[in-house]
Amino acid sequence: MKKCLKCGLPETYETIEYDENGICNICRSTEFKQNKIDWTLRKGMLDSIIEKFRGKYDYDCIVPYSGGKDSTFQLYYLCNEYKLKPLVIRFNHGFLRPIIQENTERTLKSLGVDFIEFTPNWTIVKRLMRESFQRKTDFCWHCHCGIYSYPLRLAVKFQVPLVIWGEAISEITAYYDYEKDEIEYEDEQKFNMFRNLGISADDMYGMIHSPEFPVDRRDLLPYTYPTAKELRGLNCTSICLGSFIPWDYTKNTALIKEKLGWKSDELECVPEELHASGEKIECFMQGVRDYTKYCKRGYSRISQMIAFDIRNGRMTLEEAQKYYPLEGRKPASLKILLEYLGLNEEIFNETVKHTEVSPYHHDYSRNEYADKTWDFDRWYRENNRKS
Amino acid sequence: MIGVIDCGMGNLRSVLNAIEYLGFEGILLKEPALLAECDRVILPGVGAYAKAMGNLQARGFVPAIQSYAAANKPILGICLGMQLLSTTGHEPYRCDGLNIIPGEVVPMAVKTTTALPHVGWNSVRLLREHPLFAGVRRDIDFYFVHSYCFQASSVQDTLGVTEYDISFTAVVARGNVLGLQFHPEKSQVAGLRILENFCQWDGTC
Amino acid sequence: MLKKRLIPVLLLKQGRMVKGRQFRDYRDTGDPISAARIYNAQKTDELVFLDIDASHENRRTLVRVIEEVSKECFMPFTVGGGVRAIEDVRNLLNAGADKVLINSAAVENPQLVTDAANVFGRQCIVAGIDARRENGHYRVYVEGAKVPTDVDLVEHVRCLETMGAGEIFINSIDQDGMMNGYDHDLLKLVVAATKLPVIACGGAGNFQHLVDAFDINGVHAVACASLFHFGDNNPIRARAFLRNKGVPVKNV
Repeated sequence: MKKCLKCGLPETYETIEYDENGICNICRSTEFKQNKIDWTLRKGMLDSIIEKFRGKYDYDCIVPYSGGKDSTFQLYYLCNEYKLKPLVIRFNHGFLRPIIQENTERTLKSLGVDFIEFTPNWTIVKRLMRESFQRKTDFCWHCHCGIYSYPLRLAVKFQVPLVIWGEAISEITAYYDYEKDEIEYEDEQKFNMFRNLGISADDMYGMIHSPEFPVDRRDLLPYTYPTAKELRGLNCTSICLGSFIPWDYTKNTALIKEKLGWKSDELECVPEELHASGEKIECFMQGVRDYTKYCKRGYSRISQMIAFDIRNGRMTLEEAQKYYPLEGRKPASLKILLEYLGLNEEIFNETVKHTEVSPYHHDYSRNEYADKTWDFDRWYRENNRKS
Repeated sequence: MIGVIDCGMGNLRSVLNAIEYLGFEGILLKEPALLAECDRVILPGVGAYAKAMGNLQARGFVPAIQSYAAANKPILGICLGMQLLSTTGHEPYRCDGLNIIPGEVVPMAVKTTTALPHVGWNSVRLLREHPLFAGVRRDIDFYFVHSYCFQASSVQDTLGVTEYDISFTAVVARGNVLGLQFHPEKSQVAGLRILENFCQWDGTC
Repeated sequence: MLKKRLIPVLLLKQGRMVKGRQFRDYRDTGDPISAARIYNAQKTDELVFLDIDASHENRRTLVRVIEEVSKECFMPFTVGGGVRAIEDVRNLLNAGADKVLINSAAVENPQLVTDAANVFGRQCIVAGIDARRENGHYRVYVEGAKVPTDVDLVEHVRCLETMGAGEIFINSIDQDGMMNGYDHDLLKLVVAATKLPVIACGGAGNFQHLVDAFDINGVHAVACASLFHFGDNNPIRARAFLRNKGVPVKNV
């Protein structure tokens, strides 16, 4: 497989393209971000936006929050730098880990903010997971759509126009590009471009509603993007903090650890040396998501984490080599996913095989499991199973 | 108010939709009576040159458009509309055009093995700056669908060229008049930006 | 340089999008207006909407969908399915279609292609063909691949070009929905028979299939449906993949 000569990401990576020097578009985009963007100007723009909305509504802004490193940093930053009064909103995808609950409590109580958490109907979530997995081999449609729609739905309900999200997607893909020198909005355009996997709530309703499993259209409201009319009427401004300040995951994580006592945790199938970054601890499906990606594309979270570290000068490609062989091990959470979806491993493999990205071919005979994480037994199981 | 001239051929709805989407007011002109009240005018079109000129003649548009151009008000010709700005056309027979930008519209002289019409996304190389292309990235593609092309008499009037076996004029510009061989109303973000620039253009460059 | 096009196909049945395999076993694939918005956000090259119901109700729905979609999506639309008369062509163009696809009618009444080309211009007319491999040659089918004809494929393609079609949309019935790749033999036969731009359809299951189809000289565009409905794919990723393989695609 062709790989970026700088960061090592393979040609099967979503939206990647290589230039004549074999360097990928995400590396180039990051270089532009580090060297060519006028961050002072951008910060000034953020100042203006915030002042425009401060004090005029029930909350100065809405901060969509997961409890992970990025949303914790963005919340901390807005409270500390701007002394804003936010409404913090979390869409509970159903896979929160104990460490996140602990981090969330500590963060919210330290910062002193109002918080709303929404947990959708689990029966519907399971049905959505299965449909999403069968069509897209990505079982997280409910999560992608809920996280990006629900806070905006509440913005409309509470009539709070300013919504401030975290990192720019230019950090990790080329759907948007720092080189275009544009502000990234978290809007319907982006939602349709890639967040919802090409399936809207209207689409999904027709796909799952059947005599065997009748669905009330209202069950899909949490995943339904507000209408353009509602958002215009509100004068909604939905921005990415990462377009106004240079995002640095490592610095951000170190800051929240120091100021808020935020803690990182083990990740399934990721070596311990890479855990300190605090990546993706907010979801116990992390391991099986990564595994699915590996089966389709031949790379996983380890490669992505390494790519970041390389681009930010914290690791070299030589140092990274020892980690790549650890990718692709099976996670214990695969069993949990199969339980939720009502599928067996054979069907899982057949479905995922269908969406392999050339030139990668996965070897399904590889049956090496990674160790369980310490909290595996605390994750929700149907019928109280523990193994 | 933006006038959109109806020469009886082509997808006018798309042009009007695009103008409205951009927040401007457009009005469909089936005859020249309201032309003078428009602060700018778009001439779209798809199909045969001679037929379109016949329709324009019949509806009394020819002298009206020529006077409008002479009065230095902004005019945008799109696809066949751009071609009609020329002196002469040949589709399907020799025919006089509006003669606002001197030139001739001829069949594209591509290789015998090359497909016609020229249909799809292709890039435009601008020969100089122009207000209508402000904010449009240089390496973007636009949507073309045509079999004839504009040969401008004066090199100064060619603003942009495109390659398809041959190098042909994709954009003509003379003073307050601009013609696009491609369809900005079908070229997504970049096309909408050009239309938006036109809707705010004072006709000078 | 003219870029290669990637064209999603949206099949409409009773107001919803559907996709089947070899023209059977249709599954719901969503709401057409929602899909158009999504494809628009993904800066897709062009869309093809096909009415596979041919009922009055479905035709009205199709027109409504095109009208709605034309208000916010500014890219080319080709619309077809059950187009029998000049009036059908006119109605679809008025609703917002840029091109109209004529399939069965082009076999039963080729004069329609000429008349439509004369009135609206050949760039507005796309000739659609559904073909199935039988005993070593290809048979042209009509009426949604239900009715076999005795029309020779190559003759038919040549005739369509003479009669005034602007593009040829060739669909393999065998490969349709199977996601195993396009029918290369079929494509080679068609591109050899015409100078018109050829749009390949039927069989795309992964991005490599698109690259393979473009390897055939004369394939101007690839159309796909299952690729985007039943796979973790979108046109943006497709363009990146194609670009990495040296296929020139639209710059956005």
